[in-house]
Amino acid sequence: MIRIEQLSKNYGVKQVLRGIDLELPAGRVHGIVGENGAGKTTLFKCIAGLERHEGTVHSEWSPLKNHLGFLQTDPFFFPKITGREYVQLLGNARNLPQADLDAKNVFDLPLDQYAATYSTGMQKKLALTAILLQENQVFILDEPFNGVDIHSNILITEIIRTLRELGKTLVISSHIFSTLSDTCDQISLLQNGRLVRTVGQAGFAELEREMRTFTVGDRVAMLGLQ
Amino acid sequence: MRHYFQLQARLLGRQLRDFGIHPALALLLGSLVFVGLSVIIFRKGEFAEYAYLMAALSFVVSLSERRRNEFLRGCYPLVTYRCIRLAENGAVALPFLLFQLASGRGWEAAVLGAMAVAFVFFKFGWGGSFTIPTPFGKRPFEFLVGFRKTFYLHLFAYFLAIMAIVATNFNLGIFSLLLVFMVCMAYYSEMEMSYYVWVHTQQPRDFLANKIKTAIIHASILTLPLVTLLAIFFSANTPIILALYGLGLLYLTTMILAKYAAYPHGIGLPQSLLLAFSFSLPPLLFFAIPYFYKNSVKRLNLVLK
Repeated sequence: MIRIEQLSKNYGVKQVLRGIDLELPAGRVHGIVGENGAGKTTLFKCIAGLERHEGTVHSEWSPLKNHLGFLQTDPFFFPKITGREYVQLLGNARNLPQADLDAKNVFDLPLDQYAATYSTGMQKKLALTAILLQENQVFILDEPFNGVDIHSNILITEIIRTLRELGKTLVISSHIFSTLSDTCDQISLLQNGRLVRTVGQAGFAELEREMRTFTVGDRVAMLGLQ
Repeated sequence: MRHYFQLQARLLGRQLRDFGIHPALALLLGSLVFVGLSVIIFRKGEFAEYAYLMAALSFVVSLSERRRNEFLRGCYPLVTYRCIRLAENGAVALPFLLFQLASGRGWEAAVLGAMAVAFVFFKFGWGGSFTIPTPFGKRPFEFLVGFRKTFYLHLFAYFLAIMAIVATNFNLGIFSLLLVFMVCMAYYSEMEMSYYVWVHTQQPRDFLANKIKTAIIHASILTLPLVTLLAIFFSANTPIILALYGLGLLYLTTMILAKYAAYPHGIGLPQSLLLAFSFSLPPLLFFAIPYFYKNSVKRLNLVLK
């Protein structure tokens, strides 16, 4: 269980997160949706301890970062490191040297090629593989489906379900609502740095409808497409 | 084309200010250091002109990096692109060329000029899937990544060592050893993204100890064959060779500590100055190492605790 209380973050005068309160129970998948710039990635970085913030993040795991797998929106890879070496690097960081990696290469990645030469989707899958092999208890997955092919999309969905069954805590963001409604127990809507709404599975359809109405409105007509 | 160079000047100015130095002062200091180093190199012996030419070419070649050139070609028409590349290569080669001409090395100057023009038409970079093998796979990443980027410099250092043995030039042999250490130190000159520090479960002291241990083992893999070779052929100078090997490891350790003393930013002017002073006056290391260590632990506590 992770409990976030009154989490706020500002960059200079710009307030990015405003008094976030959130509970993330073990064995549950929590989705976060919001427009670009709503503060999703900043919220994730604050939970992970990569950004300083106001407010508190309580966790049964101490320190949380040592039990947390963080899949970043745009994972960074050193220019001359292979996929295999990247997984090894992240394993070593947790004192878990990776043996027999080929047997665990579920996304069929070319592990001996430089990771920087991978496509966006392949990089995402490599970064996901690395944090899965770290034996974490908590997972923050920022856009895990971004750029990923349909087959891997299905596989990632199944991995998320398995992690939930294993009692892990998961937080996911996605711009594709269906991927969240397929995997999440709860979804929170983040707007201008505030969590404006949290709904359970029964409320997903209504939330999506509301978001569609709010987002689309008459914006397409404004373009004057002919 | 004019806009491109104005933009480059602005970017360089920003980088220098971020580093904590005014661009005009950087230009002045850079010129003085360049002239000073050039004079020192040419006083050092018979292979200096080749080392100087190689150094100049390494700067010129770095501008031919594939992705950078593909980006430029995508932005500008072919003629403008070629003019930009010619101006860039010319600007980088010119100081070396002028110094070569001033010191009466016309032949080397002609080679450098011709190469600077020729490299306008080439792009370098690994387009294929070939992975350069390294002995550092078990403990990525600094040496693993660094070696793949600079393996040719290690080959050059070993070439110089062989030349030193053939010409019985001990100073050149020592230079080759120091070159390997300097290249290794460069692997720690840039700060990795916070994520790669954050991901470690170790406490700052263990994190630093592990980094230093890995660096010493990996640096020894690269330098011990050279040390052995020099000790065999210049056996009378073995104590000097061993002392320099030890000093090289000490410099490398200082570099690592200086890097994390600046975390999460890159090494700035204060750290660079202290590094430079300690490297030129080794007893200062007794002050610099504890100072950098204390600051590294403090800075790493921000993310590892």
